[in-house]
Amino acid sequence: MTTRQRLDLLARAYPRLFPRAELLGLLRAQLGHVDALDVWIPRDGIRVRARAPKIIYHICAGNLAVSAWTSLAHGLLLGARNVMKLPGDREDSSVRREILDFIRGLPAPLRKLVETHRALDTDLLHQAEVVVAFGSDTTMKSLRALIRWDQKFIAHGHALSLLWLTDPKRLTPRQARACAVDILTYDQLGCLSPQAIYVPPRTDFDALGRKLAHALEAHWRGLKNKPARPLSVAARIVEARDLAHALGHRVWLPPKNHLGWTLIHDPDPAFQPSPLHGVIYLRQAAESRLPIALASVAGRISTVGIAGRLSARLENIFLNLGVSRFCAAGHMQFPPLTWHHDGRSSLADLVTWIDDENLA
Amino acid sequence: VLKRIDVAIQATARYFYLLMHLSRDFAQPSVRRAWIRQLLGPIDEAKWNTLAGELFAWQYTRVPAYRRLCLAHGVTPKNLASWRDIPAVPQQLFKQTLLYAHGSAPPGAIYVTSGTTTGQPGRQHLLNTDIYRAVSIEGARRAGLLAREIELHFLTPSPVETPYASLSAMFGFWQKALRKTGPRFWISHGHFEFARLRKTLIAQIKERRPIAICGTAFSFVHLLDAWADLPPLRLPRGSRLLETGGFKGRSREISKAELYTQLARTFSVRDAAIWNEYGMSELSSQAYAHGRSGLHQTPPWARVLVCDPATGREVGIGKKGLVRWIDLANVDSVLALQTLDLAERTPRGFRLIGRLPRTEPRGCSLSADDLATSSESPILTS
Repeated sequence: MTTRQRLDLLARAYPRLFPRAELLGLLRAQLGHVDALDVWIPRDGIRVRARAPKIIYHICAGNLAVSAWTSLAHGLLLGARNVMKLPGDREDSSVRREILDFIRGLPAPLRKLVETHRALDTDLLHQAEVVVAFGSDTTMKSLRALIRWDQKFIAHGHALSLLWLTDPKRLTPRQARACAVDILTYDQLGCLSPQAIYVPPRTDFDALGRKLAHALEAHWRGLKNKPARPLSVAARIVEARDLAHALGHRVWLPPKNHLGWTLIHDPDPAFQPSPLHGVIYLRQAAESRLPIALASVAGRISTVGIAGRLSARLENIFLNLGVSRFCAAGHMQFPPLTWHHDGRSSLADLVTWIDDENLA
Repeated sequence: VLKRIDVAIQATARYFYLLMHLSRDFAQPSVRRAWIRQLLGPIDEAKWNTLAGELFAWQYTRVPAYRRLCLAHGVTPKNLASWRDIPAVPQQLFKQTLLYAHGSAPPGAIYVTSGTTTGQPGRQHLLNTDIYRAVSIEGARRAGLLAREIELHFLTPSPVETPYASLSAMFGFWQKALRKTGPRFWISHGHFEFARLRKTLIAQIKERRPIAICGTAFSFVHLLDAWADLPPLRLPRGSRLLETGGFKGRSREISKAELYTQLARTFSVRDAAIWNEYGMSELSSQAYAHGRSGLHQTPPWARVLVCDPATGREVGIGKKGLVRWIDLANVDSVLALQTLDLAERTPRGFRLIGRLPRTEPRGCSLSADDLATSSESPILTS
């Protein structure tokens, strides 16, 4: 099967997740040519050809299925044998089921390239040419110890994202709604989910809070599949609310205090992780104070979603903090397939190249 | 309607009672002595409700963070209908702000939590250790742990060496209460005196004196590791082991069942002779359970509600929820504490299951807890 055939099968099975044109763009952008895996491609006076790994071992995170789907799609495009280590059972997660559903939805020729395991298979892990893992830093550290020196290890550890509101006073209802989409998509569990909204000094928090709360509630109401709130999740949300109340922070809650979302104005500009599941912190920091406020997460900030325009100075500050993606509010959770996840070329990282200098 | 009238009458009566007693100043030694007498005396439902309401009113007026939380929940001393409605502070709050009911009066003791779960310690400020001392001794006595003839051994540093450890303080109270002398604290300056402890135990076993060895779960693991190649000891009849707390980062982690099995074998005691003490630095009272599957029971002056965090209400019998303490001995900070400890409510107490895993920044992340729950994974064996 050629790359184009696999691409067509994937795009037909999941046209919204993996549109054909985007997949073609991904191959062109990262391999230089759509057919680079199948035929020799002239390049810089020689001809080159990409070689796909025979086995890719994917270690899936328990918080979000979409990262596993994307990683698998890359492996399928390359025609590799894809071994998926599924996440464990958790009361507050349906990720394993979602990954399996995705695999079931693949056409048979692609499904044949996938096998799933509940436990880590160290034999297969050692056979794999590439290991792609999503997880905590501790997990990455443990895995690295198991990886051979000549294996590629693509580790996606802890990361988080932020929203920046350039001019909160002029935040339009549309922008507020865009922020709500970013916050509530995937129940805030991915690295692209904002955990805090940063605003410049002299923000009117009453007005901003009202706008955002209204948008959050509207978006929550419109969610067809509202995320579950099992005991462990409810406990964290309620704890965050009670802590904020006791500390005298301003808290905006949904009607009847349902557990869909929580907006908290924390006067401390220093970033603190959110308990997620719709809990978002509003923090105020002058541009000059941002490097200090975000020092604890420097190098771990994936995306900054922006409502408004980003000044060159602010852009520079975020770049120095290691931010690897900027986008408009409302688009944080929907990067293009060409997105450099953690700053890496997801597809190009997987292949090796063969050079033929004897061009006829 | 009659029920509502009854509730209104009770609330009004409590309000007037509180008005009369709000002059009670818990900073006064005589008031504290009287409070201890009330706690250790008989407590029926009405008295419990009254005492809880009185302490709630005192702390509501004296602890700003607590008052803010209560107001957010719409509960004040004026409208409190039942002790069950008393808002509980998240345990985490002790790590973020001062919860102390005596303003600028210097605390007589500050106990610091281990901070092993989040890395950030919490602080419990006590004006005086008098109430903590009284209830921790009486609680252990009523649970059946402290008997005059028992020989106590503590697998912790002494309270002199670790003045900020509430557990060491409690063990120190017990030691003094039984007027025991000699080396009873077997950890000193980070050094575990395994050999001396064993020698002392062997001598006491020969004299057939019942022995109680009390320590943290991780200290028992160290002890088991140190004595792994030595023959088991046969503790005399009436002896018991008391373990408390978790392991995090202090030793290898083993399951509770495995710990109890190894302890029973090493000390030749029955499962029921191994006790768990469930307490924390943020509280003054403790609950005790016997055996690996024993139910925890609180003393009369403290109660535990197993609550559904989503509703804030107590769960039904047989259901799981989070442990919420109402501790009438916790006079100097806050009487109601919401933990993240999971438990099952039973008709005769609660069965502690364990702590909910803490969240961490886990964007694109498989948390460490995810791996820890999968026993199949070889990554676990660290």
